[in-house]
Parts: sequence; C-alpha cells; structure tokens
Amino acid sequence: MPELETALRQLGADLELPPTPDLASAIRGRLVRPRAWRRPVLIALAVLVVAVGAALAVPSARTAILDWLGLRNVSVVRVDELPPARPLGRLDLGPEVTLAEAKHRVDWLRVPVRKPDHVYLSDALPGGRVTLLWGTPSKVRLILTETGGRAYIQKIVEGESEVERVDIGDGGAWFQGQHIVMFQDRTGMPHESTGRLAANTLAWQLGDVTLRLEGNISRDEALRLARGIQ
Amino acid sequence: MERARRGDENAYEELVRAHQGIAFRTAYLLAGNAADAEEAAQDGFVKAYRALGRFRAGSPFRPWLLQIVANEARNRRRSSGRRDALALRAAAEETSGGAAPSPEGDLLAGEERERLLAAVNDLREEERLVIACRFFLELSEEETAAALDLRLGTVKSRTSRALDHLREAYA
Repeated sequence: MPELETALRQLGADLELPPTPDLASAIRGRLVRPRAWRRPVLIALAVLVVAVGAALAVPSARTAILDWLGLRNVSVVRVDELPPARPLGRLDLGPEVTLAEAKHRVDWLRVPVRKPDHVYLSDALPGGRVTLLWGTPSKVRLILTETGGRAYIQKIVEGESEVERVDIGDGGAWFQGQHIVMFQDRTGMPHESTGRLAANTLAWQLGDVTLRLEGNISRDEALRLARGIQ
Repeated sequence: MERARRGDENAYEELVRAHQGIAFRTAYLLAGNAADAEEAAQDGFVKAYRALGRFRAGSPFRPWLLQIVANEARNRRRSSGRRDALALRAAAEETSGGAAPSPEGDLLAGEERERLLAAVNDLREEERLVIACRFFLELSEEETAAALDLRLGTVKSRTSRALDHLREAYA
C-alpha cells in the first residue's frame, strides 16, 4: 500500500526532532589537536570497551578500564565487525637495521633472549618504534613491536574477540582473535600499523615502553616469550 | 573523500557537514535524547576519521559512518540503563504566519497524522526502528541494515511485517 508509505514519509517530515548541532566545528577542534586523544573527556567518547562488551561513555569509566589493563598508551575499541584491512605482505616497518644498531639508536629498547631474524627502526611514531621479526617479511612467524613512551596505540577488536588482563611487566593484556592496530604518527594522523596479522597478541608495558607480540601463538607461549624480554 | 583519507582536515570537515544531519538524527533515534545523540555523532565522526585509512576506496561512506555513529548511540543508551523507547512526536502545526503548506502536507492533516504516529509508537521497538529509519530518516535498506546492525534480509522482512502491523492498526 503505497499510500501508507507516502503517509509515513510525510509524517517523518513533520516529526519534532531536535535541530542538528554544529558537529563539524566540534569535530574539527578534536582533529587538529591529536594530543587531545589523551584528554579524558575526548578519550571517553572514543569508543572503547573491554569489559563484557559494555560500552562505557563516561571519562572515569574509560580511565578505569585503562588502569585495569595497565596499558597507558593503548586503548581498545570494540566494533561489531572489523573493516577491511589491507593485505599482508606490505608491512610498513621502516628501514631494516641490525639489532646492534637499533640498540645503539634507541636506548629504551628491550631485547629478547631469542635473536630476531630482522630488525626495523621507524621514526614515524613520536617516541620511535622498533620492530623485531622472526621468519621472513613475507612469511612472518612472530613479530614484536616496541614503541617509546609517547606513542599512542589503538587496537580495534571484533565484538567476539577476547581481551583479558594478564600479569606481566607493568600491566598487560591478551587479545585473542583478529584485530587491527592503529597508531598516531608525529603529526597526529592515525595509521594502520601492521595490517591484520593472523592474530593473537600480547600487549604489555615495561616502564615507558609499550610492547606488542603478535603471531599465531597461544597465550601461554606468548607470556613465556614475553617474560624472556628484559 | 580521497583528500580526507590523506589527512586533509578541511576535506573531512566538508564530509562532516554533508552528513551531520543524518548522523545526528540516526543517533537521536537510537540514543533517545539530544545530548547523547550529539555526543554519539561527534564520537562517531572522530572515530571514522581515525579509521579512514582503512576505509575501502570507492565504498559508500554513509552506511559505514552510520554504522559507527549508531553503535555509539546504542552504547550510550545501554550504559545509561534506559529501557524506555523514544516516543516520537509530531511538530505542532503552524496555523498562521508560516509558508503555504506543501501539497503533500494536505495528505496527512490533524487527526490522521496523530493516529498514524500513535500506531508507529505502538509498534514493537525493533519494528518501530526499522520504520523510522526507512521512512522517517529515509535511509536506504543498506543504510538501515548498517545503522541497526541487521542483515539486509532482516531489514526487508521486518519492514514488511511492520507495515502489515501498521495497516492493521491504522486501517
């Protein structure tokens, strides 16, 4: 009955809806000051959620969640479905260097017991980033990313993904399932870091360094490897 | 869109201006009040900006944006613990001083309009939301599916069922 549909559309035009606020101006203010991500109010508004998929929209709640995770520089965003990620094999990790060179240039670098096959150093992030890779760039077995104190990382996980606090370093979290990692570069622009890897990830904090171990490994394996990193 | 993806804030602001009306109204429908809707829409735009690098070039922006904003709005409503549905109201009719009524305006006058609105408000929430998205906000079926987090087929069947219920109540 088209009359009903026409009548509904007309009714829609007559509905009493609040006027649209000037969102563009408000948004712009937040975009030009990327450091504002860290402000509690803005961060609180930025998605999140770790516990039980509940969405918490108040600043104190988000802060509490970050404290609970123990990850000062990592926020977790839960979405129903991950957007398409770029394919693997185009990892933008920065130039390859030797482990000795990385240690020389980045004084905060935490070195694993097992020597990596490849080391990359990037200055794209405010605090710098070192990537240690086991396997080959086209066939990654395990990847450890370390970022300096000022980097801010966001992890986007699917609704069903598990996020669990784990006891390691100064606080850590285990992410089971696919996810996407975003980071802000020096100019505040968000970037996808490594595309979508197979997987499971352990993220933890050691002092001002945020570490992320990704690969097709179990939680216990990841923790064992992570505890070997000094 | 391409400029916005490359980080051009002016270009993104244009995108926001082009979509802020529908984003806010969708958020209002789901959040249930203007303050939460405004926050949800703002956060949705900020989140979309941060995720633009992963937005697939050539895909329609609006369903993707509405999905993000709608999630924000639902989260706010859930966290506020409110269970009551938003009751839609028709604006008061202008009886004097306004512009001449549109031809369509004559289709639904006074009582008719109130009766239809009451019938919509009496629908189950899931059906009312589909009707509101499809006919009040004039979203496409794809956009409705994105905003309500439903499969396209569910949107079609639910719309059809809701229209049947309205016909019964409004006949």
